[in-house]
Amino acid sequence: MAVEVRVPTILRKHTDGAKAIEGAGSTIREVLADVDAKHPGMRAAIVTDDGELHRFINMYLNDEDVRFLGSLETPVSDGDVISILPAVAGG
Amino acid sequence: MSEFRIPEAMARALIEHAQAEYPKECCGIIAGPPGEAREVFRLTNIDPDPVMRYNADPKELKHVTDQVYDRDWDIVSIYHSHTHSPAFPSATDVDRAFYPEAVYTLVSLQDRQHPDLRAFRILDGRIEELTVIREEDAA
Repeated sequence: MAVEVRVPTILRKHTDGAKAIEGAGSTIREVLADVDAKHPGMRAAIVTDDGELHRFINMYLNDEDVRFLGSLETPVSDGDVISILPAVAGG
Repeated sequence: MSEFRIPEAMARALIEHAQAEYPKECCGIIAGPPGEAREVFRLTNIDPDPVMRYNADPKELKHVTDQVYDRDWDIVSIYHSHTHSPAFPSATDVDRAFYPEAVYTLVSLQDRQHPDLRAFRILDGRIEELTVIREEDAA
């Protein structure tokens, strides 16, 4: 499955500045592994050491927040778009 | 010092948002063509401790950033309020400054009768204050 991954500015240092990259896999976790192989550092910026989505990273499959789907185990289909948006947060 | 230009009406709108949410912190995005503060998008603060922290609703954030992306605009600024401290980035603000491209605008209501609005770049943990130029609308 080929999906588009939209990359926020703060992570574009891993993608040579690209705003969107392509990834392959049958779940979001597999897509992230594929993306990380091509763009080292991407997965560590998104996923914790425990393998969960980082607290201050929002991820969407098309329009849906993946936390309300199957998180990183959510299946993906050809042509899906994964968007990564860091939290707008502070104190 | 670098500058951050913002229409006077927009600056007042941010202060109105902060007043409306008081004592909770408000938050939102200012977007526009690169470098231009064109439109304000209010976001809902869903942090469990909204008096001391902010965290924008992820669903609203996606909706707004889609509009920004589709118009080929930028997130020009991220704004929020401090209701009990000055308009200066807190340690938490620095830790959670995930948008290096954005100006971080703060509204302080520490003195509610005299709101303060200031703007900063937060890059790699360093804070740089910008000169805020509040531009009156053309007649």
